[in-house]
Amino acid sequence: MTRASYIVAAVAAGALLVLLPLLGSGYIVYLANLMLVYIVLALGLNILIGETGQFGLAHVAFYGIGIYTTAILTGRFDVPFLIAAAAGVLLAGAIGLLLGYVSFRMRDIYLALSTFAFGEAMQWVYRSWDAVTNGPNGMRIKPAELFGFRIATDHDAYPFVLATTIIIIAATVWLRRSRLGRAFRAVRESEPAALAMGVDVRRAKVIAFALSAAYAGAAGGMFASFSSFIHPDSLGFTETILVVTMIVVGGLGSIPGAIVGALVLGAVQELLRQAPSYQEILYGVILILFMMYLPKGLAGAVGNLARRAG
Amino acid sequence: MLSIRNISASYGRVAALSRVSLDAPAGAIIALLGANGAGKTTTLNCVSRLVNITEGEILFEGRRIDRLSSDEVVRLGIAQVPEGREIFARMSVRENLEIGAHVRRDRHGIAADLERVCGYFPVLRQRFAQDAGTLSGGEQQMLLIARALMARPRLLLLDEPSLGLSPLLVEQIFAIIRQLNQEGLTILVVEQNARLALAVSSYAYILENGEIAFEGPSAELAQNDRVRQAYLGG
Repeated sequence: MTRASYIVAAVAAGALLVLLPLLGSGYIVYLANLMLVYIVLALGLNILIGETGQFGLAHVAFYGIGIYTTAILTGRFDVPFLIAAAAGVLLAGAIGLLLGYVSFRMRDIYLALSTFAFGEAMQWVYRSWDAVTNGPNGMRIKPAELFGFRIATDHDAYPFVLATTIIIIAATVWLRRSRLGRAFRAVRESEPAALAMGVDVRRAKVIAFALSAAYAGAAGGMFASFSSFIHPDSLGFTETILVVTMIVVGGLGSIPGAIVGALVLGAVQELLRQAPSYQEILYGVILILFMMYLPKGLAGAVGNLARRAG
Repeated sequence: MLSIRNISASYGRVAALSRVSLDAPAGAIIALLGANGAGKTTTLNCVSRLVNITEGEILFEGRRIDRLSSDEVVRLGIAQVPEGREIFARMSVRENLEIGAHVRRDRHGIAADLERVCGYFPVLRQRFAQDAGTLSGGEQQMLLIARALMARPRLLLLDEPSLGLSPLLVEQIFAIIRQLNQEGLTILVVEQNARLALAVSSYAYILENGEIAFEGPSAELAQNDRVRQAYLGG
């Protein structure tokens, strides 16, 4: 693609994003908000799995920390929404840091299993800690208030959710090009070689865990801005696999890939909302097919096409 | 410059090195030879702090480094070209070089060194945006050396630079090694190709089963009957 075609695409996407709430119904805008949340979730998991090569499978647990922290602080303690959401980001990041620290020596399947267990344990906490999370009945989320405006509809939340997503995408692009981003990829490619270059491998891994968790926490805060209810059943392993599928479909390690993957799988998930059992089968099949035939995901396929086209 | 004194190391219960001593004076090329599994790479990994020593000490410019972390050792001026093509395959050539300068913060110096190392290996500049995994074997070896130089080391630890390369490429790489040495870089090189290593170095050590079996000026070792029989093919 030429630079000009990138600019045209960006302008078209920008116009669509601005016009969306003017043209779309409440449901369309709700979907748009949800897609933006998925984008942030996918970008966060991509830092851990795609960039740093650490198979953490507890992503949705941190998403839950962001949602519940925001909901509890605004609902019970009347904390202003932005501060509550920031607290959710920090708490998710801090617990991610701890998880990264204790699992530093684990890798591959062991890391995947132990983080999976952590995710399951967190879902159990959401489901069983009645006094705090209201347990299996789910929890109401108080409508957010932003700069004095009460967010009553999806339309109201959309500008905030969109702006947060754009800021996070920009930060992710910056991170990817930074010294730290390079260290992440070096750890993914070869830990011994990264060590020999003077990369502090332990520090890089722990930071990747913390950042990835903080992204999920931010996604939780975004979700709490437009959603009025959270149920622990929606914070299970299937949801983590959905995010994993997003970044695999998009192409591990690619920012545009994570965004496109989030949009594609987000749409699939919404279309199959009435048939949850088919969802899991479909994600499984999609994961297998991409691993076998398009291991670099859509981003890799587009790259190859562009090269062939000249 | 580098002084290894009576170091031992082991992997679990398996002894890898026992009481190895070695000196690399400033400005020299020192060769470390031996068969597969003799402990050559382990010795280098002890210096770069990827492997712990169980006894003895390692001094760099008079300072003990055997308790430092690997990044501190790089900061002091020791860079390693690891064995076995440990490139960052799915990163661009440019990023591979930049990660070599990971411990440095001087942007302008790093940019200047990017130019400098591409001066030694012009082919790398043509491959700048390519994934390092797409390079040929020879180009990968050049990238490994260039990447180590990006740390601006004063001591270079080279592990098997000739491994798997055609004679022509080996010649090219060793010409660059000589040139780097003439420009002031001290080099400790591990090689299986003893003939080559003895030709380029001034002093050499031969490891057998984790112990130094022979040492001496390279020209003398090349004439030594037992060395010739065991390592130079008679």
